[in-house]
Amino acid sequence: MNRRGLRFAGSVLLGLALPVAILVLWETAANRDWVNTLFYPAPSAVLERSWDQLRDGGLLRDAQVTSKRLALGFVFGATPAMFVGLAAGLIRPIRTALYPLATALYVVPRIAMLPLVLIALSIGDPARVFMVAFSVFFIVFFSSLAGAEQVDRTHLDVARAFGAGRLRQIGTVLLPGALPALMSGLQVAMGFALIVIIGTEFMASNDGLGARIWHSYQIFDFPSMYAGIMAVTVLGVLINGALLAITRVLIPWRHV
Amino acid sequence: MTILDRPAAAATRPAVVIEQLAVRYGDGLTAIEGLDLEVAPGEFHAILGPSGCGKSTLIKTLAGILRPVAGSAWLGGASSYVPQGASCFPWLTAEENAAYGLKVQRVPKAECRQRARAILSELGLAGSERRYPHQLSEGMRQRVAIARAFAVDAQVLLMDEPASSLDFQTKLNLHASLLALWERRRPTVLYVTHDIDEALALADRVTVLSPRPGRALATVDVPFGRPRDSRVVRNFPGYGALFTRLLELIEVNQ
Repeated sequence: MNRRGLRFAGSVLLGLALPVAILVLWETAANRDWVNTLFYPAPSAVLERSWDQLRDGGLLRDAQVTSKRLALGFVFGATPAMFVGLAAGLIRPIRTALYPLATALYVVPRIAMLPLVLIALSIGDPARVFMVAFSVFFIVFFSSLAGAEQVDRTHLDVARAFGAGRLRQIGTVLLPGALPALMSGLQVAMGFALIVIIGTEFMASNDGLGARIWHSYQIFDFPSMYAGIMAVTVLGVLINGALLAITRVLIPWRHV
Repeated sequence: MTILDRPAAAATRPAVVIEQLAVRYGDGLTAIEGLDLEVAPGEFHAILGPSGCGKSTLIKTLAGILRPVAGSAWLGGASSYVPQGASCFPWLTAEENAAYGLKVQRVPKAECRQRARAILSELGLAGSERRYPHQLSEGMRQRVAIARAFAVDAQVLLMDEPASSLDFQTKLNLHASLLALWERRRPTVLYVTHDIDEALALADRVTVLSPRPGRALATVDVPFGRPRDSRVVRNFPGYGALFTRLLELIEVNQ
């Protein structure tokens, strides 16, 4: 193994040390009855329950339901936000018209809108998907607006001096220039989306991982509650990893 | 006072004619006022002046980025532009950067590639075609920006202090490569600089601009022969006197 490989392996080991230590301590604490295992079951018990629920298909079904709501909400929220944000970055009047309202709505805690959304759309998947889309929209709007505004004037000047028309300037300078800010906005937005869908499922759903966690909590089935939390965590890690991978492919000039 | 020492071979039509040009910014700042300038085809013409005298404004106006409020600027052919500072597109490789102007002109892909590679290799960048700007040194990045401007075979090249961010040695090397490339293609060059040595190393004639609002104070012939070795230009007879004359033109008017 070369030096770089060794250093990488070293940092992985160092990064794993703390979580492993916590798990070992927790397991020991549960086995020796230092904590009440009704509320804090051992990690091994949680794993066992996760495994059972994976096999009976319930956990996967809920994960699928949650993922679908996330994906739909994310696409419905982020896609228009990207276009509107870039347009606002390009065209001054659009920015002026949207900025105050967007700023106001941006600071409203998304979950506070849930009752209103339920009144308007009634309990069902449209309301849940809307919650995600709504929470994603403003983050992506502001990040693509910032991306468009941060584009280097010199690069636009070069495009103009070489005779690039408006559309070409957008395609060859504005979009690639705004892409890094946009992609980091999407990552932040996905974090928010996950919070909002789980919160929504707590309160207004009979299926999905959020409902599973909340239901387990209500019937004192704590190993299942932890299994649900773990599933959400795994889902979050997977989605985040996928977004990072997409970012690397789309922005090769930042990583090679 | 405007002195226009016309070059000996002024019989041909000039490549650049600027008459009574005035450029004002949105905030009312007048960057250029009453500027006259004529540049012969194939001439390497340096625009010299202190910072803030409107040199960049002049180049940007000629490049079509800014609009004059009065007067006229006429270019005898297509132009291309090397802006001040870092200007390579970070999201394109060296080769894609060099081919940018060609791509905008809808030159076929294979030809874009071949012409970009040829220019890059003439500028000593063979082997770095697939690197991104952040993987190149500052000197190499400026070469890529120059390659991008040369690749389109423009008749008039507008260059705004392309070497100002470089250390002395790198600058000397860039000058030598630039002159070699120019000798082979002979476009008309307008080269903005605040560096008298640089102007004398490169140019056929040097025009000194006044402080803001910029106008042409004087145009001075640089009698050093071609092809010229820009590294040893300081040793040429008459260098010291020319340097002093230009320095005085800048300082007296400040």
